[in-house]
Amino acid sequence: MIENKKTNWPVMALLILGLSTIAFPLYMTIIIAFKQPSEMTTSISGILSLPQHWSLDNFREAMRVTDFWHSLLNSLLISVVTVVLSLIIHSLMGYALGRNKAKSKFYNLVYLFIVSGMFVPFAILMMPLAKQTAEMGLGNWVGVVLLYVVFYMPMNTMLYAGYLVNIPVALEEAARVDGASTWRTYWSIIFPVMKPMHATVAVLTALAVWNDVMTPLVIMAGSGQNTLPLAQLNFQSQFGTNYNLAFASYLLSLIPILIFYIICQKQILNGVVNGAVK
Amino acid sequence: MKGKRVKCFGMIACCLTGALSFAGCGNSADDGKIQIEIVQYKPEAANYFTMVEEEFNATHDNIHLTISSPNDAMTILRTRFIREDYPDIIGIGGDINYSYFVDAGILADVSDYPGLADINPAYLEIDEALELVPMDGTFAVPYVANAAGILYNRDMFEEHGWEIPTNWQELMALCDQIEGEGILPFYFGFKDTWTCLAPWNAMAVDLAPADTAKQVNRGETTFSTEYREVSEKYLELLKYGPDDPFAYNYNDACTAFARGESAMYTIGSYAVPQILSVNPEMNVDSFMMPANDNAEGNILNSGIDLQFCVTADCKNKEAAYEVLDFLLAQENLQKYIDAQTAIPCKTGDFTLPSMLDGMTEDIAAGNMTDYQDHYYPSEMAVDAQIQTFLIEQDVDAFLQKFDTDWQRYNRDIIRMVQEYEASQGK
Amino acid sequence: MKNDRKRTFLLITIPILALFICFNTIPLIRGVYYSFTNFKGFGSYDWVGLRNYMDLFTDSRVGKSYLFTFKLAVISTIVTNVISLMLALALNSKIRAKSFFRGAYFLPNILGSLVVGYIFNYFFTYILPAMADMAGIDSLSTSILSNPNRAWIGVMIVCAWQAIAMNTIIYISGLQTVPEDVYEAGGLDGATGWKQFRYLTFPLIIPFFSINMVLCVKNFLMVFDQIMALTKGGPAQSTESISYLIYNNGMSGGQFGFQSANAVIFFIVIVAVSVAQTSFSGKKEEQL
Repeated sequence: MIENKKTNWPVMALLILGLSTIAFPLYMTIIIAFKQPSEMTTSISGILSLPQHWSLDNFREAMRVTDFWHSLLNSLLISVVTVVLSLIIHSLMGYALGRNKAKSKFYNLVYLFIVSGMFVPFAILMMPLAKQTAEMGLGNWVGVVLLYVVFYMPMNTMLYAGYLVNIPVALEEAARVDGASTWRTYWSIIFPVMKPMHATVAVLTALAVWNDVMTPLVIMAGSGQNTLPLAQLNFQSQFGTNYNLAFASYLLSLIPILIFYIICQKQILNGVVNGAVK
Repeated sequence: MKGKRVKCFGMIACCLTGALSFAGCGNSADDGKIQIEIVQYKPEAANYFTMVEEEFNATHDNIHLTISSPNDAMTILRTRFIREDYPDIIGIGGDINYSYFVDAGILADVSDYPGLADINPAYLEIDEALELVPMDGTFAVPYVANAAGILYNRDMFEEHGWEIPTNWQELMALCDQIEGEGILPFYFGFKDTWTCLAPWNAMAVDLAPADTAKQVNRGETTFSTEYREVSEKYLELLKYGPDDPFAYNYNDACTAFARGESAMYTIGSYAVPQILSVNPEMNVDSFMMPANDNAEGNILNSGIDLQFCVTADCKNKEAAYEVLDFLLAQENLQKYIDAQTAIPCKTGDFTLPSMLDGMTEDIAAGNMTDYQDHYYPSEMAVDAQIQTFLIEQDVDAFLQKFDTDWQRYNRDIIRMVQEYEASQGK
Repeated sequence: MKNDRKRTFLLITIPILALFICFNTIPLIRGVYYSFTNFKGFGSYDWVGLRNYMDLFTDSRVGKSYLFTFKLAVISTIVTNVISLMLALALNSKIRAKSFFRGAYFLPNILGSLVVGYIFNYFFTYILPAMADMAGIDSLSTSILSNPNRAWIGVMIVCAWQAIAMNTIIYISGLQTVPEDVYEAGGLDGATGWKQFRYLTFPLIIPFFSINMVLCVKNFLMVFDQIMALTKGGPAQSTESISYLIYNNGMSGGQFGFQSANAVIFFIVIVAVSVAQTSFSGKKEEQL
């Protein structure tokens, strides 16, 4: 037993070494973001050295150029609304399909139909969707949210339906005997019971939505509205050769998710694993 | 119980409508003014257009103008066209996109616009030549033109006593001389594929007929014949560039040239503001690309850089014309010329920037031909094909592919041209 | 009461199904429809029958993009899985600050791939050549992104950098399902090191292995952001992924119809690959 507690130092050393592959790009991002263009040299010591002054000017300028707060707000709005709608809509769908697909041919067919949506690449939907959302007046963040709700439906519905297998029907029957409707039973009993799955779905959906570029790119192009990643793409040319400004902007766009990660690291890791393994 | 369900759905519905109306707010017109929206494709001129927007709105009570200058505007415009969402005025270049838009009936006929009388007729002809099949009407108001040739570092040239070359042999000799003095003759930014087209166009006008593309469409010649010399000379030019021209993009190349890392840079006049933004002190001038062996055979490569088209969807043409008048006003156009080192398409007394000194004579004499790539279909990606060619350096394979791809990507156009000619022949 | 249940289920299913059909099935059908036209994205268009599909099979650019995408997907999948498996074993061994390491190694996955691409773009163009120059490695003194034979390596590194984080976490959770006494029993039989891994650990984490394979291949086949940030398909069109080509030529290049046909084929390919993978890993699991 004592042997088991011994730390494997060689492995530790290797792991610390390996961390540099992650730390180095981040270190470079940070120092470049703080430097001035005149400090950018091509010699190796110049590249690696710390900036002469730690000034926030680059960040202020980057915020102004990319309209940071607006983009951040858009990103937050889209992510939060998508996650909330996903929790409601996908869990309901997972419930309806999960409870019935074993008995009813119709529900089973619907289940397979929706789950097969997982194989549809966005590339094929992109062009018709650009046209369709515009025809429906949805060429804005609302359209983007609706699309996300549809895109993540196959995955999330499958997760919920899978989770429901472990929740005995008897739980609902007890409530039904008390005279509660199915709808109310769902909200008062089933929905709370699926809490672990909600966390998984929320984490997976939020991460995917937050970092997605393609959907807003296609749907919101030209609307004057940006999400955080989209702003990086759209203002790429405005940065010109001022890599310092560009990196300040990159760093700004990474900070919100970094904070989120540091706070909810455990939930995120669990969520990701749950989602993949189920 | 049922009530609760209804309530819940009602709430979701409310949220959605609330969200929708909130989203709708952004576009709502204020106090009954006529709204005019311009999308123009030159992000580097964004500051100028912001100024125009502010001044126009300050002086006009009845019209509210919005100008956006997005990055990658052509993709945005096309995406918006897919969605059938048209701005009132679009500012685009005189290239194949213009041809397509005219053909698709997206643009309105502006031949009743009085301001057209002041436009240099040479540029209106260029626009006419760009129409896939001749159409009745005028669909664009040319604003400014640009010229592609060679930019050079005037101070460096004077310091070393280098002469401006007038033919290909002189250019090659000059490059050897520059290299001999330990200076890099050219800088290239070929990571951005479109920059590969700048030297290509400048050389092609010297060495191939102006209407090569149309001749090929009529089946009278092939690119393999017309473009062989251009391709071979391009490879020679490449030798005088940086070791790894494909690592750097347009911005990198402009920066390097501005910092004096090379004596010359084969790019259009449009690059000057970018270069000056890096080094405002720099003394830049330009000369025509002397690709032909005979000095007389050389011709300046110039095309419409920016023109304004009113879309067919525009609700209020009168207001759009008022905006065009404002843009074409002497002092505004002059400001654009100064800021962007451009050549005005309007006749009148304009001061040309000193960076175009080396080209002024030819501009005044009208010794100019439009860019060849303005006839290349964008989906054929000739820019990327040239990049491939410059990397692999195989002239035959490149030209052969050029010819086969041309037939494939242009077959609808070729068919259209043939049908048109058949109908004219009757 | 029974009716209430049935009605509720129907009331849930029908609207959501309608939403799904509206934004997934209908656009899919429209996409298929456009694939038979020469639509540019604006203006009028003609029905051209199977012409787009015939062209697809003779278009060298499309062929190249399929080749590139598959090469990238296969090699990235192998690299990612090998590295993340080793990493997972290391992170699951007896080390200190376990949760710190796990958290740190997962970090790349949460960062947006577009911005990560931009950062690496700078790294490949300026920092790596400068480092190679100093170390005297000539072959690396030019940007790897500028060479059509090597640019895909740059793309692969960025893809793998992010994917490894994900796969490692999944492998770790797999390794945790392996009970301690398996090793103890194996230890008695003299199974250590590679042998222990090959005959004891690996068979037990096969399900996690197949999850990772499916995840990897699917994500890499749809690669887009990294291409957009790193190479924009260049140099010499050597790194055009299928998604990038469809976006670039379909949305801005005026090939709406043709690229719709490409997208239809791409869809069929994705389905085929997924089905093949699922049945293959299903069989493998049965065997063991």
